[in-house]
Amino acid sequence: MAKKIENAKNSIAEVLELPKEIILDLPKITMIGSIQLYIENHKGIVEYSKERIRINSKVGIIRIIGKKMIIKNIVSEEIVITGEIINIEFI
Amino acid sequence: MLIIRLWNYFRGYVIIRIEGLTLERFINLAAINNVYLWDIERYDYTTLEAKVSLKGVKELREIILKAGCRLNIISKEGLPFLLSRLRKRKMLAIGFVLVIGVIFFLTSFIWNIEINSTGDLNEEELIEYLNKEGIKIGIKKSIIEEEELKINILEKFEDIAYVNINIKGTNLVIELKERSYITEDETIDKNKPCNIVASKKGIIEKTIAKNGNVVVEKGEIVEKGQLLITGIVQNDLEENILLVHANGEILARTYYTNTIKEPIVKEIQEETGEKYFSREIKIGNKSIHLKNGDIPFENYIEYIDDKEKGFYSIIPFDVITHEYREVKNKTIKQNVDSLKESLNVIITQKTMKEIPENSQVVSKDIEFETEDNFLIAKIQLELIEDIGKIEYIKEELYDKPEEDIEENEEE
Repeated sequence: MAKKIENAKNSIAEVLELPKEIILDLPKITMIGSIQLYIENHKGIVEYSKERIRINSKVGIIRIIGKKMIIKNIVSEEIVITGEIINIEFI
Repeated sequence: MLIIRLWNYFRGYVIIRIEGLTLERFINLAAINNVYLWDIERYDYTTLEAKVSLKGVKELREIILKAGCRLNIISKEGLPFLLSRLRKRKMLAIGFVLVIGVIFFLTSFIWNIEINSTGDLNEEELIEYLNKEGIKIGIKKSIIEEEELKINILEKFEDIAYVNINIKGTNLVIELKERSYITEDETIDKNKPCNIVASKKGIIEKTIAKNGNVVVEKGEIVEKGQLLITGIVQNDLEENILLVHANGEILARTYYTNTIKEPIVKEIQEETGEKYFSREIKIGNKSIHLKNGDIPFENYIEYIDDKEKGFYSIIPFDVITHEYREVKNKTIKQNVDSLKESLNVIITQKTMKEIPENSQVVSKDIEFETEDNFLIAKIQLELIEDIGKIEYIKEELYDKPEEDIEENEEE
């Protein structure tokens, strides 16, 4: 049932050309080179250290591996991470 | 982002250190409660540092309790804290105000007088006059009444045709234009009868009389002081004598010679590049010369670093650097041919400057002679110039005939 609603949402978003991250409540990840990372629509931090950050989202945990990473700022919708980003994974 | 930073700076923020085991939970709670945290840096497993606004710190108290962490404020940053810190340091504020005050005060004086003139006007005379009028280095700007000063200068100095006075910062800039005499010499009284006589020896080339009678002819050789145009006009019929202001041009061929001597074997001083410095400390009119031993050169030239200091000339303390450059006396034998060439140029330039302005050079002749150690250059210029010179006629001698004229006219 839930999957059906999800599919309907997706097709509505496609037909109306609405931003999917809002309709589907998905995280929107934007990177600037490998030095900065924006994540919109996150669901909180799971783990935070200089080498590894794990962030919760609708589609699962996003794991960011890097060096000297800091959270530039964080609000309920958005998180900005700077540092040397090496790897991003969905797990 | 810069705007947010600036906003935070003006509003003031604090750097906090959070210690605890559930730091992620703390961050999440802060985000959910709309407490804006930035520059969150994890130090180790139990500590992190972050920046938060003043308002945010108060809201954090509850979150801290929920997350079970400990909060320390490390430092307070931003303008409000800076101001409150400055408020405690009253002397700093007083000093700041004082410095600005002193700058304002000092810039209300004239520290430099600059005279820009086009001609070779005697600037010292003008400066002396300005000093006498009370305008010198160190006076208040407000004392100077530009318009009045302009008029005074123009009245006092007849040679000055135009004056502009400007105060630029602490400089008093006086711009001058000298009066140029385009018309005839004003010192000549045109109403006085006069003769034109020769100012030097010459052969007459051309005579143009505007007033008076020419008494010389072309080709005639005239001596200095000889009468050229007479101002005494005698009518053939009547025996009356008329005195006029003779005027005219007498162009004559004149000769101009000049010699210069230049030694062929010349002793010159050549710098060896060795230098020696010493310093002189000047306090008021007294000075102490600091020397590190004697000057280690036999022959030397002394240069004194004597620069214009303007504003600083008021301070009665100065360090003058003396520079001694070692020189070697050298005798060199100059090449006669090249010496001749250079002398040729030098003597021509020199002579051209000396000859009267409105004369025309007809021919130039340079001869060289060697005598002992010297090369002598002789130049002879043939010029055509106006040799006329005004000589007033003594009227007393002719007083009587003049009366006769008047009588005649009355008749």
